[in-house]
Amino acid sequence: MKKRKIIITILDNLIWPLLLITIISFNFISDRFFTPFNLTNILIHSAVLGIMTVGQSFTLITGNFDLSSESTLAITALIGAWLILPSGQPNFGGDIFLPVWLAILVLLILGIVAGWINGFLITKLKMNNFIVTLAMQIVLRGFMLVISEGNTMAGLPDSYKFLGKNSLGPVPVSVLTMLIVFIIAHIIMQYTQFGRNLYAVGGNPSAALAGGVNPDKYTRYVYLISGLLAAISGWMLAGRTGVVVENMGAGMIFEIQAAAVIGGISLQGGRGTMIGAFGGVLLLSVIDSGLSLMRVSSFWIEIFSGLIILLATVIDAQKSKILSDN
Amino acid sequence: MANSEHYVIKMKDIVKTFPGVRALNHVDFELRKGEIRSVVGKNGAGKSTLMNVLTGIYQPDNGEIFVNGKMIKPMTTEKARKLGIAYVHQHSQLVPALSIAENIFIGDLPKNDLGIVNWNKVHDEAILQLKELGLNIDVSRKVENLSVAEKQILEIAKALFANAHTIILDEATAPLPKEDVKMLFGFVKRMSEQGVAFIYISHYLVEVFDICNTVTILRDGEKVGDFNTCDLDQQELIHLISGEKVERFFREKVELSTETVLEFRNITKPGAYEFINFSLKKGEIVGLTGLEGSGKAKLIRGLFGLEPFAESGEVYLENELFYIKDSEKAINQGIAYLPRDRHGLGIIGARPVSENITLSILRKLVNHIGFLILKKEKIHVEDFVDKLGIKTPSSSQLVQFLSGGNQQKVVFAKLASTEPKVLLLNEPTQGVDVQAKVEIIKIVDQLSRQGVGVIIVSEEIRELLDICDRIVVMFKGKISREFDTKNKNTTAETVLMAIEGEA
Repeated sequence: MKKRKIIITILDNLIWPLLLITIISFNFISDRFFTPFNLTNILIHSAVLGIMTVGQSFTLITGNFDLSSESTLAITALIGAWLILPSGQPNFGGDIFLPVWLAILVLLILGIVAGWINGFLITKLKMNNFIVTLAMQIVLRGFMLVISEGNTMAGLPDSYKFLGKNSLGPVPVSVLTMLIVFIIAHIIMQYTQFGRNLYAVGGNPSAALAGGVNPDKYTRYVYLISGLLAAISGWMLAGRTGVVVENMGAGMIFEIQAAAVIGGISLQGGRGTMIGAFGGVLLLSVIDSGLSLMRVSSFWIEIFSGLIILLATVIDAQKSKILSDN
Repeated sequence: MANSEHYVIKMKDIVKTFPGVRALNHVDFELRKGEIRSVVGKNGAGKSTLMNVLTGIYQPDNGEIFVNGKMIKPMTTEKARKLGIAYVHQHSQLVPALSIAENIFIGDLPKNDLGIVNWNKVHDEAILQLKELGLNIDVSRKVENLSVAEKQILEIAKALFANAHTIILDEATAPLPKEDVKMLFGFVKRMSEQGVAFIYISHYLVEVFDICNTVTILRDGEKVGDFNTCDLDQQELIHLISGEKVERFFREKVELSTETVLEFRNITKPGAYEFINFSLKKGEIVGLTGLEGSGKAKLIRGLFGLEPFAESGEVYLENELFYIKDSEKAINQGIAYLPRDRHGLGIIGARPVSENITLSILRKLVNHIGFLILKKEKIHVEDFVDKLGIKTPSSSQLVQFLSGGNQQKVVFAKLASTEPKVLLLNEPTQGVDVQAKVEIIKIVDQLSRQGVGVIIVSEEIRELLDICDRIVVMFKGKISREFDTKNKNTTAETVLMAIEGEA
């Protein structure tokens, strides 16, 4: 009993020693790693991943997942730009010329709608969440290609890029936004009835229902949240890079899941904290940056990402094994 | 045959140790040809370990195993099977989507010269073989459509076709419907008369008396003794299993309140229950019983909002019309529900004790901006841990790591936390060992004394007689009889007859 409890506690918090070891190792390998410039860079590059991971963590904690969020990110970024920009080269917009604030409002609503459709199909029509969110991923990516015709949209106004590019004093707005999102998510999960109910739904939906917590209702909420956060991420990423490319965010879902799961969010639902997920985001960003500094080929970085996903899943599987043994 | 002196199984001086636990401590076990022997004990007494040693799943640290007089060392699962020992688990090993005939010949289907399955032969052979065991079944039925008892019979038959002489029947987690029990036991008895020996592992002590000739009692890894079932009564057996004098709990009769807390008027759901008129007083405990499918469980599940409720009729909660919406509303209005399969439905194992207890009352534990007041929660949890005597190192312990009995108490703490007016219990003592049963009944009794009206849905008539003020019997969707438990003429037999629809 005691031993299992200790092992669980260790596995739950494994992200922190992992992160520490990684940082120390890169510090030894490259003297350009532990510099204010590089560390700020790491944080800036982790902002989008971070916000996406929060959204994913909400769904994972309730025992769900959202494979579509990377496409939601892309389509919202695209629609936002399309509503502002003129048509033709080099902008490839829609000639709508919406005010920037209105375009942003539309893209946020679009994200929520995508999440709502996911939640509706999964809870009302009782469809499988893997198929629903995978199909949504493909459909949204398809729409994006249809609208952009494969062109790269450029020339976004500075006011649109505020979230991705600006700084408040020394602090980049994107990093600040990510931190605020994490803090709010943490408070929700630890200190509100809503958060507790999400854990209950993921831990055992039948017990939650018998305890007066409707799992379907909360499943719909988390997909809304995931959609909204993906839209914010899309807006941020378009702002940071200044362009909207057709493969924006493609394949990012694996990085997102890896960050959440290695940070202690269980694929089985019901376990994990937002602080842990934050650690997972930092670990992935640090590794990405460190390997780039070492001039490791991006193909190798792919392999490392894959291995991290495997490692995260192994740890998660061990946890559920210990938790289910009786 | 039961008196045969031929021992099919002899286990001598078996010791099995797991890290930190001596699961079996010098246990002897013997089984004669044609004997039906029950192995009973609390959870963790060593029943499963003993069977796992016998079938080669575990290797004992010490001791010898003889099958038909021959020492087998080491025993392996393969050898056990070849030597004719079959383990029929509570989880069926049959393939649900295939027919009975296919399941019988699975892996060895009769084929013609071209290597194509000869389905006619499969069908005819299956019928023939089952007939030899006295079974007349339509072998083209799919296994997924069989009842639990039918599946068990089929598994036993399969084992017998493979020349098994000893069959270990592991308890079903839920008691089988009466009809099915009769069918299964009839089959087991017939087979035993033909020389097959059975080891029957069960929590349902009534069944032990129904079917077994002999019983081996284990406690904390030690053998208490072997007995003939005819030399024991149920009370003695319970005593021997627990090792303590388990007092049977009788509810001290209370003066019932005149206030009605819950009332059903003409509640009707076609096909499930009809014209249910029923009222529950404050502090009253009513047992609702009947056969499987009589509508008793549907009625309380529907009331709590877990399935569609009545299409006509009214429910009054404290004399106010109550509309069913969902479980959240039910709890907020003062109705609490204990699900039938507590392990699967009641606890959230991966979350701490505290979160499990306060799950349904979080709305009472938040401040004006919606944040949980953790201090208030902690006080509440500690209060209930204390009151119900939940043994846990701390309230942050994961429920998964508590013992079964303590998990039960956590669920009751959750229910009691909601300060219900009406408490609905669906088979509260099912699959629970004797000690824990008494504890649960005591908790229910206490709650009723605080004014909670309780409805217990159960088929354990003796328990209902001990704890309830009134027993209501449902038969085919209607309330067929009511019994006042204070009445001297109310006995297990009369209630049982009403349940079967014979009175």
